[in-house]
Amino acid sequence: MPGLLTAAELVPAWTALANGRPDEAQRRIGPEPATRAEQLAWAAAELGRQPVTDDHVRATEQVVTELARGDDEIGAQAEYLRARLYQLHYATPDPARAAELFLALADRRPQSHWAQLGLVKLAMMRLYDSSGPATNRLAPAEALLARIHEPQLQRDLHLQIGQAGVTLGLPTRRFLPHFVAADRLGGLTGAALEDLIVQIGTLSFRAGEYPQAQAYLTRFLQEYPTNVRAYAVARLLERTQRGLAGEAKP
Amino acid sequence: MIDRLRSRLGLVLFVMGYAFAVYWVFTRSAPIVTDRPITIRVAHWQIEKGPPEGLDAVIRRYEQLNPRVKVEQVLVPGGGPIYRQWMRSNLIGGTGVDLIEYGFWLDGMSDIPARYFAPITKEMLAPNPYNRGTPLEHVPWAETFTDGLVVQQVTAPVPGQFYAATLSEVSTRLFCNRELLRRITGSDKLPETLIDLRALSVKVRAYTARTGHPYFTLAGSRDNAEWLLEFLMQGATMQMSQRNDRLGVLALYQWDELGHYLEGRWSFNSPEVRAGLELAREVGLNMKPGYLQSMRDAATMEWLRGDSVFIFAGTWDGTSLRRLATFPVDVLRFPRATADDPVVGKYFFGRFADGGGGTCMELYLNKQSRHPQEAVDFLRFMSSVEGSQLFTDNSGWLPAIRGVKVPDAIKAYETPRDCYTFGMPYVMIGSSVLSQVARNMHQLVGPQGSVDKFVAAMEAVMPEAARTDLRKEINNRYIAVRPQDPQVVALHELFRRTPRNPELAVARERLESSQTQTEALLFQMQRQLTAAGE
Repeated sequence: MPGLLTAAELVPAWTALANGRPDEAQRRIGPEPATRAEQLAWAAAELGRQPVTDDHVRATEQVVTELARGDDEIGAQAEYLRARLYQLHYATPDPARAAELFLALADRRPQSHWAQLGLVKLAMMRLYDSSGPATNRLAPAEALLARIHEPQLQRDLHLQIGQAGVTLGLPTRRFLPHFVAADRLGGLTGAALEDLIVQIGTLSFRAGEYPQAQAYLTRFLQEYPTNVRAYAVARLLERTQRGLAGEAKP
Repeated sequence: MIDRLRSRLGLVLFVMGYAFAVYWVFTRSAPIVTDRPITIRVAHWQIEKGPPEGLDAVIRRYEQLNPRVKVEQVLVPGGGPIYRQWMRSNLIGGTGVDLIEYGFWLDGMSDIPARYFAPITKEMLAPNPYNRGTPLEHVPWAETFTDGLVVQQVTAPVPGQFYAATLSEVSTRLFCNRELLRRITGSDKLPETLIDLRALSVKVRAYTARTGHPYFTLAGSRDNAEWLLEFLMQGATMQMSQRNDRLGVLALYQWDELGHYLEGRWSFNSPEVRAGLELAREVGLNMKPGYLQSMRDAATMEWLRGDSVFIFAGTWDGTSLRRLATFPVDVLRFPRATADDPVVGKYFFGRFADGGGGTCMELYLNKQSRHPQEAVDFLRFMSSVEGSQLFTDNSGWLPAIRGVKVPDAIKAYETPRDCYTFGMPYVMIGSSVLSQVARNMHQLVGPQGSVDKFVAAMEAVMPEAARTDLRKEINNRYIAVRPQDPQVVALHELFRRTPRNPELAVARERLESSQTQTEALLFQMQRQLTAAGE
């Protein structure tokens, strides 16, 4: 019977979608998705179909708006996706509407992962919202950070508050603790982690926080001895050590 | 009578032709049906001497280990227009091969990775099974590369994701015709500093005047001159790069330099940039007049004919140069700038990397590959200790993998970690900027050219070129992050259905994290565009 796949039967469709094959996912679901899970899978696949057009996005919105009324996990995902449509997917985004939907999601289901992830996205919108002075941008994001309890999402937001602090030209001591917090929460990999270790070392050196600079630069050399930046890091570490001995100025 | 003879002759010829075709099909041609059910194809433009042989050796061994899989090399000329058109038309048409060489600097192709290549992050973070029994057995695949795949990471459409495996580390070197050097200078002494190089150039010009035969210090072509410009610019601008490194990562990414230009943090009129250009012009004047009209093959021929002492080239040309030369060849690092150099000494910061900065010949997995698992498996073997050793020994190119023995003949290509590397040269930060540099190079190095003329020409076009390239960076990232929303949801749903597979939760978390980083980058780039009046 079309449109009534069991949870197990839906796995190939989710797998196709996870592997970036939305057309295949929709083929597996069939033309008439019936269950809430099938509808969510169909809507998510519609969002990924190429070429992306506002018609696809509108079709997705229609389904996720309906699904979002439910109080289950699927409802939370649908509510998140709906906010994302306005933030990212429509040809002309509507950040104000997206912010409204992220806030509503966080108020309605504060413990849901999707609400937590939505708070990260909302905080980033606040960080780069150009309507107010740059000096006031971190505080709203920090307020949203206090509502996030998932460590990985806390880490990601700490990192982005730090990056925004640099980009907005704020004093280093104002945002450096966010980088350190992101590192302590752990779990970053690849270039993101490499960059973070160098960044804390360099910014700490510039802020005159030599012991912290020494710790991070030394760690970088231990963890990435053959890295292309190792030579520059080693020279900076020498300057840091002179700074610790009271000889160098940043 | 004649007609009958003609028709008989025709019949005889037809029978002979048929018999020959039958003989050929059954004795010489490849079997029509292969006994290997899976064929994967690897396309690249590295058709110089060396890499095809190296990859052949890797393929032969891989096929011994994997009897179900056949691997074919597809050699496509050049990293230029032919390759670009071939790649794009095949990818659009859904006929692209499984593994495809790509470079972030390919003009007009920056959307390709986000649209057509699949990330291989999960595989890169696990050990490479083909390294079993080696010191790299337990090391994540990504960390087995000599550079940790840094170039691929900084140019990946999504930060934190891996998209490619590489085959070789490259450097730039001077290849010296020792016989000619001895004839001109009376010794084998190679120049160590820019000041030495200038003194040698004076001797070359005197020798030319004495003999009446035109000799040059450097073999010249547009390609070789552009490589030289990039190298000299990176060295001269290090102080400025340090100054502009707001993020404190001791590196500048190309979007950084584009954004910094739009924010007015540097221009072609900056003193460091002018010094680099001055040096490039000075060095370029030691090449054959009119060299901008010719490509790298012409420079190679000039050097092989014995008309120039050195050729400045990447080690990617090394195997060809050394195999074809009929004279003894020395390989040396480009003479370094010193603090007392009259042109760039004022901005001297330290030795700049002439290699060792990254690995290349990067092969990407086509999203449309019919055999992605086998293609990734081949990538793993290719970049294992065994595979990389085979490639190195048979290609004359440096390995990309740690622990591979470097043959004595190419040890000079290795760059010790005694130098700074600081990201993109200011001329190679986007395809629009790069094409403007190429278009205006004659204003710098031509006989009537000057730094002032080049700077004026570039500053007239740079604001629009930088904006165009930054817009492309933004668009490419949108292309990459939008399809990640359905993927994140799918990974979550899969994990809910198979909670015993924690890899799914980790994959979702990593994808969310890298998506957030990309979106932050989008905000930052958008902010820079806004600052530039958009």
